[in-house]
Amino acid sequence: MYKWFLAFRYLYTKLIALFGVASVMLCVAMVLVVLSVMGGFLDTVRARSKGLHSEIVLEGGTLQGFPYYEEFGEYLKGQLPGTVELTTPVIYTYGIFRVPATTWTKATRILGVRLDGYVAVNDFENGLHYERYYPGTTRLGLQSMPVAGMSESNVLQLPPDLEAANDKWRRQETDPEAIASFDQGPFQHAPYPYVTPAILGERVYAADLAPPRYEGPEHYGVIVGCDLLNERREDGNFNRYLARGAEVALMAGPLSRTGTTTGEPPILVPLRYVDDSRTGIFEIDSFCVYADFDMLQHKLAMDPQPLVDGGFTKARANQLLIGLKDGIDLNMTRDRIRGAWLTFCASLSPEVSDVDARAMSLAEVYTWEDLQRPFIAAVEKEKVLVTFLFTLISMVAIVLVGCIFYMIVEKKTRDIGILKSIGASGRGVAGLFIIYAGAVGLVGSILGAILGSVVVWNINDIQDLLASLNPQLRVWSPDVYSFDKIPSVVKQADAIWVASVAVLSSMIGSLIPAWIASRVWPVSALRYE
Amino acid sequence: MLRARDLHKSFIMGRAPLRVLRGASLQAARGEFVVVTGASGSGKSTLLHLLGALDIPDRGTVEYNGQNLFQLGDDARRLYRNRDVGFVFQFYHLLPECTVLENVLMPSLAAHSFWGWRRIRRKARRDAEELLDRVGLTERTKHRPNELSGGERQRVAIARALVNRPALLLADEPTGNLDEEVGEDILRLLTELNEAGQTIVMVTHDAKVASHAHRYVRLSEGVIREAGSPGGKAIPVGLATREVIP
Ligand SMILES: Nc1ncnc2c1ncn2[C@@H]1O[C@H](COP(=O)(O)OP(=O)(O)OP(=O)(O)O)[C@@H](O)[C@H]1O
Ligand SMILES: [Mg+2]
Repeated sequence: MYKWFLAFRYLYTKLIALFGVASVMLCVAMVLVVLSVMGGFLDTVRARSKGLHSEIVLEGGTLQGFPYYEEFGEYLKGQLPGTVELTTPVIYTYGIFRVPATTWTKATRILGVRLDGYVAVNDFENGLHYERYYPGTTRLGLQSMPVAGMSESNVLQLPPDLEAANDKWRRQETDPEAIASFDQGPFQHAPYPYVTPAILGERVYAADLAPPRYEGPEHYGVIVGCDLLNERREDGNFNRYLARGAEVALMAGPLSRTGTTTGEPPILVPLRYVDDSRTGIFEIDSFCVYADFDMLQHKLAMDPQPLVDGGFTKARANQLLIGLKDGIDLNMTRDRIRGAWLTFCASLSPEVSDVDARAMSLAEVYTWEDLQRPFIAAVEKEKVLVTFLFTLISMVAIVLVGCIFYMIVEKKTRDIGILKSIGASGRGVAGLFIIYAGAVGLVGSILGAILGSVVVWNINDIQDLLASLNPQLRVWSPDVYSFDKIPSVVKQADAIWVASVAVLSSMIGSLIPAWIASRVWPVSALRYE
Repeated sequence: MLRARDLHKSFIMGRAPLRVLRGASLQAARGEFVVVTGASGSGKSTLLHLLGALDIPDRGTVEYNGQNLFQLGDDARRLYRNRDVGFVFQFYHLLPECTVLENVLMPSLAAHSFWGWRRIRRKARRDAEELLDRVGLTERTKHRPNELSGGERQRVAIARALVNRPALLLADEPTGNLDEEVGEDILRLLTELNEAGQTIVMVTHDAKVASHAHRYVRLSEGVIREAGSPGGKAIPVGLATREVIP
């Protein structure tokens, strides 16, 4: 009993223990901050990855794509009616994005999507910018450019459908701040027929003094990744260089069914920039553009092509996104759909050409997790690595606790002798110091967990404060990362885990001093005052 | 009750071993008050440490109730120190972080496990308070040792030595650091305890102190020489001579 009694007595009478408490506290706080931020980062990446595709993806595995996607979609709905909500095809290829007004070009991944289906299977819609303020106006079909102008009452207005859409947003929006900040600057003007504004802003429309209207030839729409075209501001929002509806162009090369060139020249498709998309993953937002599926399929010669024998090839797509009904087990469903795909392919085999059969055999069914695994795994590894490094650094605390306890034991040699003379065992005295160290670790851990949590909860404010002193100190800059804010959630399990390791570590740190204490020979400790 | 035979102890100091005890023998019967005198450096403390099993002799035995302490295991020796002897040091040796009461309770704390202590703590506390009352420190139980005078500290040390009701009290110059008057007080206290039946072995360099004892021996040149019963003090019949051999 004296062990417990003295351990706790020493804890608050010996000043030197406070150094141990402080070092444990700082280490616990540090590791907890790192773990929380990295954990939050990982969770965000996961959540965003999930919203990127659909629950299940039939991936063609090639750039030329695979046939019978439409038929398989129907087949699947017939086979798994309670499971599959809807399917929607996607085409992807690589090409060049060009802004004719500035002659600016950039390499890009071009996705052909059916917007209605696409937004139904994933979170794409949430990342659309103009669609938020003008709901229902982002379309990939043929359209002209909206031009703001003077209404009859002599105010600058957008065409009526856009104004109506904006009104609709105002009525729906629950965040009054969003409306207030919108009203501060509804949009910047690009003097029509120019498409670039004099002052950059979050929203840009072409404008002149004529009545509001749509101008210019009709082109298909294109949604552009937000980092591809725009400039990310420090507050995490974007400055836009182009007016909505401005003409842009995509260039790409059609591929034959076997993946060779078709002999046709590369295509050049004029499009209208209708919106931009933010998935939150920089690699995607700086690289992808989204155009209409059917238009792209046609331009890329992936629609039915005439054959020399008089027939037609089957239309091709690169992916079939499969949206599931709620609450359905992902991996099990993937396996079932995998099976369905194989049966489907087998059932077709007599009528399918060798080329198509090969293309279909290359297609594979994945869950969104399977597809994003390399990316998520990288972040997971990063989290483990960073946590490991910081834990390693924290091991300094073990050494520190060891030093501190060595000093305590040195100073307490006489008391150890006294304890032994009244019947304490060597093991008991060692236990006393280990308990003492455990108590130091526990108090340090609790304080550290509190400190760490407070830091994590306020980490964005702390960063703002640091950045206001010196902009170089803004490590987590929204213009670098896809995250506006540093993740600021502390998981209880993390805190408990870190604290336990810290308590254990300080006990380990005290082992050598405790061993020394246990070996104190009572007489030699007691001989002198 | 206690019989030390032919104790040898030397310390390695530089090249030549310093032979402090060279065959010292001593016995104490139950209820006896034995005083060992000797010059400073004669090895009195060394002898007492051996009697209290705080150190191990090079040769010789210390038998307690017929059991040789140095044939016992570490744990048994620990129990002997905890239960059977109380040790009073020349320099008090109290724990500075603990109050007077806690210091007195310490041997009792050491005797019990965490749970065992919960069961007996009330009684242990009462006993300790009673002892402090007996040594005249009722008012000072909450004080820290550094707030007490030397004499008071030594009283605390005596109370601590007695808290587990040991059969044997070993006192190493309990008055050595105190002025004469206070020293007298402490000696009176020890005498009272002895009269109440406590067996005491005390060492001192002060021959005058010996007058309190039943029996009085001298340690010189590493051996004990019988000096006989000091004048004026009668040994209660049966006490000095009766050897308890189980
Ligand atoms: N651990 C030790 N190491 C070396 N020498 C020691 C040790 N313990 C005791 N001695 C020596 O043994 C001799 C006897 O010491 P001890 O303390 O027993 O004497 P003492 O009679 O108690 O003296 P005092 O009256 O001053 O207390 C001394 O010369 C001392 O220096
Ligand atoms: Mg001495």
